[in-house]
Amino acid sequence: MTTPPAERPTDQPAPHPSDRTADLPGDRPTGPTPDRPTGASLPFEPEGVTWTPVSGRLATARLTALALWLGPVLALLVVLALATGASWLWVPAAVVAALGLWGALLVPRQVRALGYAERADDLLVRRGIMFRQLVVVPYGRMQYVDVSAGPFARRFGIASVQLHTASPATTASIDGLPPAEAARLRDRLASRGEARLAGL
Amino acid sequence: MSDDDRVPAQAWRRVHPVTPALKGWKTLVAVVAIVGYQAADDVRSAADLLGGRGWLIALGVVVLVALVGWGYAALAWRHMRFAVTDEAVHLHSGVLFRTQRQARLDRLQAVDVVQPLLARLLGLAELRLEVAGGSGSAVQLAYLREPDAQRLRSELLALAAGLRRPSAAGAPGSAAPGTAGPGIAVPAVAGSGTTTLPGAPVDAAPHAGEHPAGAVPAPAAFEEAPEQEVYALPMPRLIGASVRSGTVVGLVLLVIGGVVAAVVARDVSPLAVLLPAFLGFGGALWGRVNAGASFRAALSPDGIRLRHGLTEQRAQTVPPGRVQAVRLLQPVLWRGPDWWRVEINVAGYSQGQEASRATVLHPVATRDEAATALWLVLPDLGVEDPRALVEAALSGRDEDGGFTPAPRAARWVDPIGWRRHGVRVTRTALLARSGRVVRQVSVVPHERTQSLGLEQGPVQRRLGLASFVVHSTPGPVAPRVNHLDGRVAAALLDEQAERARTARAAARPEQWMRERV
Repeated sequence: MTTPPAERPTDQPAPHPSDRTADLPGDRPTGPTPDRPTGASLPFEPEGVTWTPVSGRLATARLTALALWLGPVLALLVVLALATGASWLWVPAAVVAALGLWGALLVPRQVRALGYAERADDLLVRRGIMFRQLVVVPYGRMQYVDVSAGPFARRFGIASVQLHTASPATTASIDGLPPAEAARLRDRLASRGEARLAGL
Repeated sequence: MSDDDRVPAQAWRRVHPVTPALKGWKTLVAVVAIVGYQAADDVRSAADLLGGRGWLIALGVVVLVALVGWGYAALAWRHMRFAVTDEAVHLHSGVLFRTQRQARLDRLQAVDVVQPLLARLLGLAELRLEVAGGSGSAVQLAYLREPDAQRLRSELLALAAGLRRPSAAGAPGSAAPGTAGPGIAVPAVAGSGTTTLPGAPVDAAPHAGEHPAGAVPAPAAFEEAPEQEVYALPMPRLIGASVRSGTVVGLVLLVIGGVVAAVVARDVSPLAVLLPAFLGFGGALWGRVNAGASFRAALSPDGIRLRHGLTEQRAQTVPPGRVQAVRLLQPVLWRGPDWWRVEINVAGYSQGQEASRATVLHPVATRDEAATALWLVLPDLGVEDPRALVEAALSGRDEDGGFTPAPRAARWVDPIGWRRHGVRVTRTALLARSGRVVRQVSVVPHERTQSLGLEQGPVQRRLGLASFVVHSTPGPVAPRVNHLDGRVAAALLDEQAERARTARAAARPEQWMRERV
């Protein structure tokens, strides 16, 4: 476990205010059962859970990565189309541009959909808009915690925390945490895991 | 290094001296095969070579390779030693790159005695200790004399169970594994042919597998714990089941196709294509029969004992509480005779090519045996009438047996099998039922839940559905319930997290013979 060095001062070291969750229900379509009882917990909104969103810088980082991938491709296609004068080359260029636009619209929403919550005995991680996922990891089942940050993530001042249980199916990774928060979460998870230690 | 201090010098043991020869012959065969293959390319010149004094050179090379290989193996043997202490097994190995491995006995997941054909002929066996450390984490002690391997296995299991060495402790309260017989009352299911319900044994021995009541002072040495056979697989059924498989159907179709092509084209050359196919299918079939041959399961205070294999024999011992999940599966062609394959997840059996062999609890079970196999793992299903519950899980649909089925909306996502999707939570376990064509039931004891998940795709969301996933250790069983009502799934997620927590708190200790603290 390595804590990424906080290269730049993090402007938001504390957990983010969770007011973002307020506008999340907008993402949920009013499905075929609009008469859902308000008391029952919705599948991805367990009762009494306050979600902590991840840093907005994750969106910036992902968008930058997207631009770095698609930008050169798009530029190449445009240059080729202009140079050769072949009109059909505009089609792939348009496709790439559309992909980029779609990504630009999707990524911020995806990042907003990412969230985690620390409950008394387990950690909740959720992700996805179209394909939603919610994972509940009991602290006592954690085998180890990884904190990682690549060079790109470090530039944007984010790190990711991943929890491992004895099951490889546990996909509980939280991307886009400020390094200080990542370190805090790591220590907290480790200490809670130790307190509730169980075998397999 | 540091653990040398804690291991008394006289505790170190070596594996059998024949080991290098036994391990080395494979290398020799490989070398000869490669050389032979190369020579076969040019048979004539090879014959010329061998005709002269060339064969002497060839023989010399083979002998040299054998000597070098044997020398290295002997060196490796000299450097390999192991010791068993009260807490751990220590293994030192490696010539150039030395490895010191220490496996904690309270983390022991399973002990296997494996006997490949050649080793069996020589009366040797390999002892394999599985710990939950991912791939390559098993401690392999190869080869030992078979009685030694058996004795070592008893010793390891007894130590792992929390018993102390008689000389060291002498504690009057420590139970010998050999005296735990009264604790297990195994039903006479296998041979008798009577339809003994697994419900009966649960009632008869409510504490089956738990700490035996009558603890007697330990004898001088660790004895092999007594075992009682629970079921055995008759050979005709294994062959019948192997024949009723997709492999054979594919082979038959291929033969028909080949014959038709040959008749139409008035040429036998299409039939030549069948030969490699025959070899492939034959190999697959042989593998299945070989692995499942003389499959026997027994119950002992040390846990579940499985023995199987024709050429390579394997005796597995899975201590109590080490099975993480069970799956009962019925391929389409097995529906007629109502046969089931029972597989288990055991941490440590996860990786490697042998995993598929080691994770079988019953290769071909009748319905009664399937229920018994489930009972082996989970003596208490947590309901009044376990047999009825198993029946409902195996072949029921909708709300049979108290299952919570998928709602009607699920027919849009799974038009064929939607009535089989269902979940039942009992006091001790979660049962997930699915599949109409290939019926499938997964059972996870609450205290073995690793983590839980909820998944929902766009179509599912429109229909108000969600899939509930239970994460288990790596293995053949990946329990999940698809297309449940969203609210039901969410409630299940909440309750199941709570249930897993309470079950873990009450779970027996890792050292299964120890009193609960």
